[in-house]
Amino acid sequence: MSTTPPPTAQAAAGAVEAVKVYGTGDTEVRALDGVTVDFDRSRFTAIMGPSGSGKSTLMHCLAGLDRLSAGRVRIGEVFLDDLSDAKLTELRRDKVGFVFQAFNLIPTLTAAENITLPMDLAGRKPDAGWMDQIIGIVGLSDRLSHRPSELSGGQQQRVAVARALVSRPEIVFADEPTGNLDSRSGHEVLGFMRYAVSDLGQTIVMVTHDPNAAAYADRVVFLADGRIVDQMEAPTAERIIDSMKLLGG
Amino acid sequence: MFRIALKDLFARKRRLVTTAIAVVLGIAFLTGTQLPSVTLSDSIKSLVGDVYSGFDAVVRSPRTQETPFGQPIRTQVPASVVEQVAAVDGVRAAAGVVESPGPEIIGNDGKVVGGGFGPPTLAYNWIDDDALRIGALREGGPPTSADQVVIDFRTAESLGKRLEDEISVATTQDGVRQYRIVGISGLGDDGSQSTGVRPLIFTTAEAQRLLDQPDEFNYIVASAEPGETQLDLTQRIGTALPEWQVLTGEAFTAENQEQISQFVDILEIFVSVFGYVALFVAIFIIYNTFSIIITQRTRETALLRAVGATRRQVVVATLLEAVVVGLIAAVLGLAAGFGLAALLLRLLSGFFTISSSVPSLSSGVVVLAVLVGVGVTVLSAVIPAIRSSKVPPVAAISEVSVDRSDLSLSRRIWGAVLVVGGIALIATGLAQVGPNPLYQVGGGAVAVLVSVAVILGPLLAGPVSRLIAGPFSIGGRVDGRLAGENAARSPKRTAATAAALTIGVTLVTLIAVVASSIKASADDAISSSVQADFVVATASLASFGAIPAGAAEEIRSIPGVAEVSPVRFTLLRLLDPVGVATASTSTTIPAGQLGAPSDAPPGEDDFALGIDPATWFDVVASGDLEGSPEDLVAGTMAAERRFAEERGWRVGDTIPVYFVATGVQQVRVALIYDEPLGQAPIWLPLATFEPNALPLFNVDNQIFVTTQPDADTAQVQSDLDAQFADLPTVQVQDLQEYIQTQTGPINTFLGIVYGLLGLAIVIALIGIANTLSLSVLERTRELGLLRAVGMTRRQLRRTIRIEAGIIAVFGTLMGLVIGILFAIALTIAISADNPGVLKFQLPVTQLVLIVVFASLAGVAAALLPAWRASRMDVLEAVSSS
Ligand SMILES: Nc1ncnc2c1ncn2[C@@H]1O[C@H](COP(=O)(O)OP(=O)(O)OP(=O)(O)O)[C@@H](O)[C@H]1O
Ligand SMILES: [Mg+2]
Repeated sequence: MSTTPPPTAQAAAGAVEAVKVYGTGDTEVRALDGVTVDFDRSRFTAIMGPSGSGKSTLMHCLAGLDRLSAGRVRIGEVFLDDLSDAKLTELRRDKVGFVFQAFNLIPTLTAAENITLPMDLAGRKPDAGWMDQIIGIVGLSDRLSHRPSELSGGQQQRVAVARALVSRPEIVFADEPTGNLDSRSGHEVLGFMRYAVSDLGQTIVMVTHDPNAAAYADRVVFLADGRIVDQMEAPTAERIIDSMKLLGG
Repeated sequence: MFRIALKDLFARKRRLVTTAIAVVLGIAFLTGTQLPSVTLSDSIKSLVGDVYSGFDAVVRSPRTQETPFGQPIRTQVPASVVEQVAAVDGVRAAAGVVESPGPEIIGNDGKVVGGGFGPPTLAYNWIDDDALRIGALREGGPPTSADQVVIDFRTAESLGKRLEDEISVATTQDGVRQYRIVGISGLGDDGSQSTGVRPLIFTTAEAQRLLDQPDEFNYIVASAEPGETQLDLTQRIGTALPEWQVLTGEAFTAENQEQISQFVDILEIFVSVFGYVALFVAIFIIYNTFSIIITQRTRETALLRAVGATRRQVVVATLLEAVVVGLIAAVLGLAAGFGLAALLLRLLSGFFTISSSVPSLSSGVVVLAVLVGVGVTVLSAVIPAIRSSKVPPVAAISEVSVDRSDLSLSRRIWGAVLVVGGIALIATGLAQVGPNPLYQVGGGAVAVLVSVAVILGPLLAGPVSRLIAGPFSIGGRVDGRLAGENAARSPKRTAATAAALTIGVTLVTLIAVVASSIKASADDAISSSVQADFVVATASLASFGAIPAGAAEEIRSIPGVAEVSPVRFTLLRLLDPVGVATASTSTTIPAGQLGAPSDAPPGEDDFALGIDPATWFDVVASGDLEGSPEDLVAGTMAAERRFAEERGWRVGDTIPVYFVATGVQQVRVALIYDEPLGQAPIWLPLATFEPNALPLFNVDNQIFVTTQPDADTAQVQSDLDAQFADLPTVQVQDLQEYIQTQTGPINTFLGIVYGLLGLAIVIALIGIANTLSLSVLERTRELGLLRAVGMTRRQLRRTIRIEAGIIAVFGTLMGLVIGILFAIALTIAISADNPGVLKFQLPVTQLVLIVVFASLAGVAAALLPAWRASRMDVLEAVSSS
């Protein structure tokens, strides 16, 4: 929390009137119903909302894993809506980091190989200094040659975050990265993410149900029924809980 | 329970098909050969029955010898016997039959018709009696002068000839000359059929002249007066002519039917061997597929167990699934077998008139297909089924879906027992110790292959996969690295998939190495021993007497020619009591045969060359001679050294020899030589050969020609070519061409074998595709993740292709090594019996080609699974469970 973003900072990613519709007719579900949002560079944003409110959908569309029904999303300067599959893949590899709730790692590769995977796929050498820095912070220097099955759940998620960061992406998306962890492991992962934003200047967007996790963020965006219903700067767990009570009630 | 298993089966139809396809192919090959042979035997039997139906009795010479080429050889009967037969009470009519190979038809392209493949050409004489004539005229009339001929309708059709056209015929007597076609005939009452022969029907005198058997017939046939039975007639003729062999028309027909059936039987055995190979490969694939499916279903099975299914129910359900797959495969296999049978029949209809081109389905074939289909599938599924029943109910909540277990101790022990036992079996088999050496070698080879698949393969799969992946992971490339790890993560699965390929490659390698060794040895033997510059030889190895009499004399007059040495060959029987192996003509006289029995005493059949001692030793290097070529006079022979030693022969010994033409003769060993050609262990000087060989064999088969040191060899060759220019039955070859024609048949044989073994490899490739599809399915989430973090579709496809390549290279290399080891064992075994005959030689280019081809084919097998994997939806994949 030593660095604050410059006020002129261009948003790292954003959506304009984003609509996502699943199914047709009777079974039609509007998972996103006109979402307009910007995620500022070098900030840590949390997305919260009831189950089924469209959090994952928004994140998938922003990350180029899924396409919108209407509206636009962009990463940096690039609008994703008219990119080919090959270009989207390239963009995911070079500009986006992703952390899932579980099964983030390739079981046949070591921790180190999992971390450098996006760089290897791109055929680029990771920046050695940056790599060391990340690994040092993750605190896994002595576990680098281990396979995922030999790591704890928390360690696995930290490796996943390290992988998401290694190519210095424009933005990192994390969908309930601590959802499967006990609170101690969860704090290790969240602390690492916080550090990556504050001290390394990375941009992270995280979906979570846990107010304590969301409190690590600089800002919280609340979704309900596919719309943005509220947001909060410099959140604390108590204020989040209050807000959620309002929304839920 | 059963319903659950079936539901699962039909829910995945593609997997069902790929699992069954291996069995389908195996069954197709087994039944494909059974189906036409039923039809073939039937139609050939009835056809041959028809052809000879007019014969009530057949009179022929008792002097006969079996040959390796089917028909026994036999001396002729003088024309005077025809009258004697006709004079016997009860004989309505008698006629002499000329029937012999020799003349060849020259096609419109100037080449010999048939040329080694296809129905052989036989010369016949025209028989006036309607009942005794073979076949019927369709058009025209009988030949009435020496320049006329009757041909059969098939030959006429294939050459586009009509009545009154000329046809070119090559004979030893005249070279190539024209005959006028005066009649077109066929077999059967209406002349609409044909058997595996191209007849050329001349006047009796012309036929006898062409075959150099004046006033002689190959056999005599008689028809009975009304009311006379075949047996009575035969008995009466037998009593009247005790020095000749007499048999009923029925016995004669049966003999001929038997010979043709043997040909069909050999064809059938040959093709079904490949069916068994395919089924053997299929076992690995089915086993593998069921293993993977059952591992993937672990959770489902555990759930079933948790809600109360017994172990037995789990096993039975899996086996029932196998039964269904087997049944489907049997039905499809039968259908494919039908197609194959129709194809075979089409092919064979070039030889025989097939009564129906639709294969006939017998209940026996259906039972075979079902038994084999269900049997093989269930057998392959037994172990996976038992394993599935051991899944504990708690597995329902655990994560494992890939079998990464290490090799169990019992598996290692079994593997070791199989290896040792297999090697022991092969060793004893090759050393000819034990009850059935052939089965010992075969069984041992199967045991070794299985053990490689179940123990050596899994042990090697991990390290070898990573090794092969090495070059693809250079520079931190992830696709190669991932492919290597994927192949290594489940060594048992990789090994079992590769094993299917190993079998095919082992067989191909074995045959390639042995064939190359045989060729190299022949090449060596010929080039080191034959010192001729040119060899004049018959165009096909199967043609008799194609080199005209007197050709050798004419060659001598070509300027620049030094030596001219003609060679003939015949079959003889050594009556030497020391004979190593003895063959004997059947001592049981067939039913319906009377009169003199075959007069060949028991002995050992061998080939002998007829040589000219004055020139032969100048054209062929024969090592240190014991005795002198001058000693080879009438009544003597030369013997190969080892052959003589085995029999304890020395120069000066007299050996009783049976010749078909002249009966038992005492022949003195005058010379012992080192056999360089591997053709015949006995050389007869022409002075011994000519009086004792049948006219059929008393013609030059090859003529070796050397040139003078200062001669212009190119000129000599063109003079030789000019001399035989209008004789397509004869080829002038230099030494290199000669070697090629001598070893040529090996290549033809190899081509057929490769084609059929290719099938085993195709099945193995289907197995690779199958395993990869299942692997892709079980790694859906992982592949989705890779795509999510930026793996391109191309990279993903490449990863899967490399994995397939690794499996293929692994399987191929194992096959290559085992195949070479088998070939070495075989060479050692052969060399133990015949030192120096077989020289081990690796066909390096061919082996490299095999590896490259099999590996590329493996990669090709991955195209579909790779494409499917790259198409899958990333989001769905990452969120799949
Ligand atoms: N592939 C799909 N097909 C149809 N409907 C879908 C699909 N994916 C999501 N939905 C629907 O879209 C809505 C939003 O889903 P989404 O997964 O974004 O919710 P979420 O906020 O992430 O919920 P949770 O907190 O439970 O993860 C839900 O109503 C869901 O049922
Ligand atoms: Mg969600």
